[in-house]
Amino acid sequence: MKPADKKAYDKDYSNAKKTGKPFFPYAIYKDTIIAGLTVIAIIILAITIRVEVGEPVNPATTDFIPRPEWYFYFAFELLKIFKNQDALTPVIMATFMVPNIMIILLVVWPFIDRGPERRIWKRPFALGLTVIVTGLLCYLTWMGANSPSGVASAGIPVSGLDEQATKGMAVFMANGCTSCHMVAGVGAPGPGPDLTQEGAKGWDNAKMIAWFKAPKAPMPSYASLPPQELEDLATFVNGLGTKYK
Amino acid sequence: MTTKDIGPKNPVQKGAEATIDYVDDRSGIKTGTRWFLFRNIPAGTSWFQTLGFTAMVVFGMQAITGIILAMYYVPDTQGGAYKSIEHITNEVTWGWLVRGMHKWGASVMIIVVFLHMARVFIWGAYKYPRELTWVTGSFLLLLTMFMGLTGYLLVWDQKAYWATVVAVNIFASAPILGPYIGDILRAGPEFGPSTLSRFYSIHMLVIPGAIATFIGLHLYFIVRLGISEPPWSKRRLRIERDEEDARRAAAREKAKALPGSANYPASWPVEAKEAAR
Ligand code: HEM
Repeated sequence: MKPADKKAYDKDYSNAKKTGKPFFPYAIYKDTIIAGLTVIAIIILAITIRVEVGEPVNPATTDFIPRPEWYFYFAFELLKIFKNQDALTPVIMATFMVPNIMIILLVVWPFIDRGPERRIWKRPFALGLTVIVTGLLCYLTWMGANSPSGVASAGIPVSGLDEQATKGMAVFMANGCTSCHMVAGVGAPGPGPDLTQEGAKGWDNAKMIAWFKAPKAPMPSYASLPPQELEDLATFVNGLGTKYK
Repeated sequence: MTTKDIGPKNPVQKGAEATIDYVDDRSGIKTGTRWFLFRNIPAGTSWFQTLGFTAMVVFGMQAITGIILAMYYVPDTQGGAYKSIEHITNEVTWGWLVRGMHKWGASVMIIVVFLHMARVFIWGAYKYPRELTWVTGSFLLLLTMFMGLTGYLLVWDQKAYWATVVAVNIFASAPILGPYIGDILRAGPEFGPSTLSRFYSIHMLVIPGAIATFIGLHLYFIVRLGISEPPWSKRRLRIERDEEDARRAAAREKAKALPGSANYPASWPVEAKEAAR
């Protein structure tokens, strides 16, 4: 806004105030009604849809659905969109670039859009942005709500497991791997990639163990597992889709 | 302030008035309240302008239900956290209701804050002079979401645990500062008992404190600058109509005065032309 526009706005606003009404009671009564209705709605929701207590943390089971709160579904979906890319850049896109650019845009928006116009129908860019961002958020949230959840299962249906691979599978299940990865239809469909064909990459155990110890985020590090378990786990994962199908 | 004496007064009333005057002399509370409550706002304010206040009330409700929950909650990873949540839900009188309100309140607060922001955005209410109101508000949105993230882990159940592991790893993956942020959130290199205590203290002390501070700033700006008028209030529309009329009249005058223009010499009166349109 140019100085003249600012002056004009100040003058116009002070006129609006002069011909206005006192905050109490003309605004506060509306505020009280809407806030009151909202609190009542929360109480009704709390009574009708009871909050449950989920499964206690027990890394040895897989029949749970690892999910964030619904208002983070969009972020998880964003992660899934980029998950199958192996290059580092796309992951950084989803976990770092995109969110940070959004946050910075959000905070500094008033310094970007400085035009004097306030009527939305004369601000086509702002209108378009409202529609697109809201639509995208709703769409991603809806996708997150409808994404197939991890399949309940006591084990992973792959055959041909030898003794070490069987131990490796137990380690796999006991450490929450299935909460991000799917193997032969068991586990969550993301944020991590499907590992059913992981053996086809032809990694050796040392390379796989190095990965477990220092993986690319958002996968957590498993450096704290005992060396034997890491070895078993690597054997299991490196045979998926080749030795164990 | 002096009170006019009309006959003898009840000593209780006298005492009360004296007390109020005593406090007001020192704090200015009466003047302040009057300044806050009876300031003028534009006449055409709309129902959409109630959402910010609603967000504030829901935050207050979260604080109260949260304090009650904190009286029973135990941040213990060896089953204690989970058991205390079970205890609140199944045994404590009204516990299920308080927990339900806190849980639903979190979702409703996110929705209300988002709608409030949408209202501000669509109205262009972040423009001069309210830019900093928006900046403080955008921090409030981020803090509100962070509240949800840290609170989710406290139940210490399966889905929350793994979802939080992933979320924290996302923070940790950021270049440069990421690893430090990860260590701070986890209270070390790994998820464990200290992580839960840390999330507990962030969730119930750090972020609520920050939110309260930012709400204070936000409100200060709002009261100081005044709440904006709807860009399509009756008053604005009238002004725009008048301006439009004036612009037309000026254009007509100009057209008449310009030799060689279609209206020169006016073959028929402009008023008639205007009416014919
Ligand atoms: C915890 C969250 C928030 C609370 C408690 C809050 C509270 C309020 C209140 C009480 C008002 C007065 C007018 C109204 O109710 O509409 C207001 C106005 C405003 N808020 Fe917020 N707000 C929050 C979040 C936000 C966010 C996320 C933004 C934007 C990024 C924002 C930007 C603004 C602006 C620019 C105004 C001035 C609007 C005007 O004068 O018309 N606020 N806020």
